[in-house]
Amino acid sequence: MNDIARKFQRDLNAGLVALVLLGVLADVDDDLYGYDIAKRLQRARQGEPLFKEGTIYPVLRSLAASGWLSSRIVPSYSGPPRRYYRITDEGRAVLAEWRTVWRHTRDFVDQFTGPSAAPAATFEEPTP
Amino acid sequence: MSADPNTLPRSIDEYLTQLRRALAGADAALIQDALSDAETHLRAEFAARSNESEASVLEAIAASYGLPADVAAAYLETDYKVQAALAPTPDRANSTRSSKRGLLREFFGVYGDIRSWTSLLLMPLSLVTGVLYFSIVLTGLSLSLGLAILIIGLPFFIAFVGLTRILALVEGRLVEAMTGERMPRRNRPSHRGRWTERLGAMFKDRRTWTTLAYQLLALPLGVASFTVAVTFSTLGIGLMGGGVVALLQALGLDVPGEALQWGTETLELGPVAAVLRSIGAIGLGILVLTALLNLARVTGRAHGRFAKLMLVAA
Repeated sequence: MNDIARKFQRDLNAGLVALVLLGVLADVDDDLYGYDIAKRLQRARQGEPLFKEGTIYPVLRSLAASGWLSSRIVPSYSGPPRRYYRITDEGRAVLAEWRTVWRHTRDFVDQFTGPSAAPAATFEEPTP
Repeated sequence: MSADPNTLPRSIDEYLTQLRRALAGADAALIQDALSDAETHLRAEFAARSNESEASVLEAIAASYGLPADVAAAYLETDYKVQAALAPTPDRANSTRSSKRGLLREFFGVYGDIRSWTSLLLMPLSLVTGVLYFSIVLTGLSLSLGLAILIIGLPFFIAFVGLTRILALVEGRLVEAMTGERMPRRNRPSHRGRWTERLGAMFKDRRTWTTLAYQLLALPLGVASFTVAVTFSTLGIGLMGGGVVALLQALGLDVPGEALQWGTETLELGPVAAVLRSIGAIGLGILVLTALLNLARVTGRAHGRFAKLMLVAA
């Protein structure tokens, strides 16, 4: 990915990271800590990751501050205590709304950029 | 050791140093959170790839977790949004209004400021936490000194300092909830290594000593704020309640209770004077309570700043 594509990806990610994190935590019955979540995302992705793992932690924190995730601290032998997150009922309600918003957005955007629309531009690394 | 947050760090410590540098000037509590998140993640990554060389793990981390500069940017961006979204009602006290009307509104506007109520609650609560911290620190210090001649003296001291750090974290959560001053949500990563190195780092850490001082000072400060809060809220509520009773009596209602007294003798007043006097007492009561709420708001802010200065690493 070149710099312009990277910047576009970053702009897109502003809300998407929070949506994906709520989605990951809504899928599991257990609570997860940051590293678990990062590795789940890593396993699911194809190609270059959409966002760095380091950026999910502040988002987890802000989701917890909004009351959409609950968290508990568990001491760890290998380092600082780990913070485990679990989605709250309020978080599930928010996720349901966000999913609708996301589907609308995706369908709308696809009308103009999807496979049936004009061929999408392919990003290529600029040759030095 | 390279301090540039855009270059690849060669160890976890170097990564954390670069991250700290990239966050320089940010809120101390935010820095502490970011360092703790990064250290947890990096140590988990190292544990998961224990068969690879340190250099290759760090290279993989830079690609997956991000360079210190990227991570710092994410924290600064997200935390800013969180604070904007969760900020309490706009702080009217900060608006510069110098007219008399503005001052009056500011004085009585304290009722609408949730922070002044929570700060008022914190004042008597400080006595409870103060007693707790003071007793634990005093016991821990005396036992550490007493046991110093035995082999278990130093490990005991390490455990005791660890306990005071947990208490400092708890106090931080309480202070943030009550006064809005941002405090760490996680404990600061402690020094790794042999216990002798940890002990040395603990002794050299300014925060170890300021935390102990804070927890010792918590008792006298708690006693003072408890006394002020209880005295003036009782006085205000008493004046208001007494005023209401006296007013009802002056209006001829049969309300149980002693007549309002100035000094020790009951004044025989005419009905108009009695009504005015009871209204005066109610007004005075409201004034005392309002002044107390204003004081609570100021001391709450001071409490938050003091806690941050003493409990959070610079």
